[in-house]
Amino acid sequence: MSTGENNTLPKVALVGHPNVGKTTLFNQLTGERRKVGNYVGVTVEKVSATIFTPHGHQMELVDLPGCYSLTPESPDERVTRDVLLGDFAEESRPDLVINVVDAASLERHLPLTLQLIELGLPVLVALNQVDRAEAAGLRLNPQVLSDELGVPVVACQATSGKGVVQLKQALRFPLPPPAERRWKGSTALEHAVAELSKKLATLGMERPKVHALQLLGDTDYRVKVQPKLPREAQIAAREAAAACIKENLVPEDEIIKLRTQTIRRAITAATHTMRNEGETLSDKIDRVALHPIGGWFFFAAIIFAIFWSIFRFAEIPMHWVELGVGHTKDWVGGLLPDGDLNSLLTDGIIEGVGAVVIFLPQILLLFFLIGLLEGSGYMSRATFLMDKVMAQVGLSGKSFLPLLSGYACAIPGVMATRSINSNKQRLLTILVLPWQSCTARLPVYAILIPLLIPSVLGQTTMMFFIYFLGTGTALGVAWLLSKRIGVGEAAPHFLLELPPYRLPDFSYVFRHVLDRALAFLRKAGSLILGIVILLWALGTYPKAPSGEEQDQFNYSAMGRIGHFIEPVVKPLGWDARLGTATLASFAAREVFVSQVAVSFAVEENEDDDETFRAQIRTAMTDAKKSDGSPAYPPLTVLSVLIFYIYALQCLPTTAVVQRETKSWKWALAQLAGMSLFAYLAALIVYQGGSLLGF
Amino acid sequence: MAFTTELERDSALNLSQAAVGCEFQIKQLDGPSCKQLREIGFCEEMRVRKVSNGRNLICAVCGTRLALSHKLAEQVFVTAV
Repeated sequence: MSTGENNTLPKVALVGHPNVGKTTLFNQLTGERRKVGNYVGVTVEKVSATIFTPHGHQMELVDLPGCYSLTPESPDERVTRDVLLGDFAEESRPDLVINVVDAASLERHLPLTLQLIELGLPVLVALNQVDRAEAAGLRLNPQVLSDELGVPVVACQATSGKGVVQLKQALRFPLPPPAERRWKGSTALEHAVAELSKKLATLGMERPKVHALQLLGDTDYRVKVQPKLPREAQIAAREAAAACIKENLVPEDEIIKLRTQTIRRAITAATHTMRNEGETLSDKIDRVALHPIGGWFFFAAIIFAIFWSIFRFAEIPMHWVELGVGHTKDWVGGLLPDGDLNSLLTDGIIEGVGAVVIFLPQILLLFFLIGLLEGSGYMSRATFLMDKVMAQVGLSGKSFLPLLSGYACAIPGVMATRSINSNKQRLLTILVLPWQSCTARLPVYAILIPLLIPSVLGQTTMMFFIYFLGTGTALGVAWLLSKRIGVGEAAPHFLLELPPYRLPDFSYVFRHVLDRALAFLRKAGSLILGIVILLWALGTYPKAPSGEEQDQFNYSAMGRIGHFIEPVVKPLGWDARLGTATLASFAAREVFVSQVAVSFAVEENEDDDETFRAQIRTAMTDAKKSDGSPAYPPLTVLSVLIFYIYALQCLPTTAVVQRETKSWKWALAQLAGMSLFAYLAALIVYQGGSLLGF
Repeated sequence: MAFTTELERDSALNLSQAAVGCEFQIKQLDGPSCKQLREIGFCEEMRVRKVSNGRNLICAVCGTRLALSHKLAEQVFVTAV
């Protein structure tokens, strides 16, 4: 699949460990132009860009997912291996690999370099973080390292742009010749590789030598099911490995030993360490951040600061969105004559979509702050600390970031679970994640809580209790489910790199936030748009003969559905209006507010959201049953509140869960399970409260 | 590369038992998670300093801080330097 065959641009792939500065280098090389897509068949992001070399040649640069080796553990790493082996049918094999290596930690990074060289691809080593290595007392000679490895080596510091020009110049045509393996095995091993590669060639496999070495060097690759590898190749490899073991040769062990020897030789020749026992800045920060007691205070302060900023600073842009929606509604409403089209555009589309867009500032602010935590290196420390808590309920420390994101929106939270290596822990995290109180629930709480508690202090306490209840239930259910799913036996042991603290790469953080914004608007927006149009139609047709707005709800399809489902919601203390509002909000919970407003014929006040909410609350307080008693006593309101804390009312989340778990079974089981849980919780609260005389 | 006898394995010092603040050399990896450990940077003959103890312990390898569980640390056999 070389350039000549498919007549496309030469492809250069960036490969390296996670946190090595690959993305920063990618941005330096591309000037931050990039295209984000997905690898076909897997939910792994593909980041690429077209670049020009200083000699005017055009190339495609691909940032492959970070990996520690070519013997993968996670889906991301598997993509990297399969693309490099040329086994990814939809993706051509790179023509050159730039291996990004941390100069301060060569012993840890060179094993991957040797594996890349063994692939028979041209390799160029980018020796990153040279400044940090020098500060740590390490003297490096890139030329000697290049001689030892047999590939070009360019020293650089991606964060400051040092060495990037030299790296670009090294991408000259013709590309360097394919690198050659740097070690020679025992006669038995070399014989096994040669024999296996012959067999693979007869099976019609491309690059038989490369595949033979990969198969003998990685037990999982030849034993576990590999979608990109023919079964016959695995059978041949297992036979070859068995023959080696008969001769007291474990092929993977010998290969590792030979690579280690080669690396040690290269490092001894190319580096010189000046003893530097001084404590780094990271060590000093870690003495506080990872202190057994002080570390928790530090952690709590950071989490508190995040939430405080979200509620404090997001208010301002949220008000702008609110004003914008109001003005757009007025403007569009004024352009068209009164009628169904006007109502569809203003009451349906603009108001419905506006109700979702209003959460954008909160979501973006949370992502920005999470991006800062990740970029600065603190997120790994938080993961380390939280592992102690998470392990008690069967989750891993790596579940912490997704659960934290869940406070903004469950969708990115579910996507963030990809970093969890254990499939079972990942599934468990996804299943309980929607119980984290997301921002879409806030407008519902803003209507209901003041109906229960008039004082501001009481309302704040109630809000805290709601967050606590959601997270507490998520962790409790995770504990129960972990026993059922059998997480305990299968959970991999905790192993995590704690990168040095650094200043976040702001351009990366901002772009990440922008990507999230667009994804949120695209995914939620398109679905919400469809739903609001449907809800508008159900609420508008058929038209009440009297033409009065109060009668319209009962006469409309929505009102009829409400009366139909009333027997189901009656045991919760709800009437048809609450029933339909809840049913409608199964698509997206924020629809509750507009649906209640429509059913009580409350007009939206474009200048002041609180007045609008107060009007809804007054309408709810004044509503009476046929016997004259209040339609919504506090117990009913509490029952609605409990239902909204627990129910999964967000179709985009269900769609994302299906995509991430590749199973409708889990996605629908989660939807059904959480809905039932919410119903039962609301039932217990209402019926229990009634029995106690509330 | 595994130990030949159980006695040999039991009498060797592993990273989990090693003292905090001291520097060690990795002698051998032995256990089901060798591959995972090697990938992240624990290889034979490398120097490692134990930084802290706890449910998960922290050590410094090649200037990088790595956090790992006790179960994993028990598979890293070391000698004092």
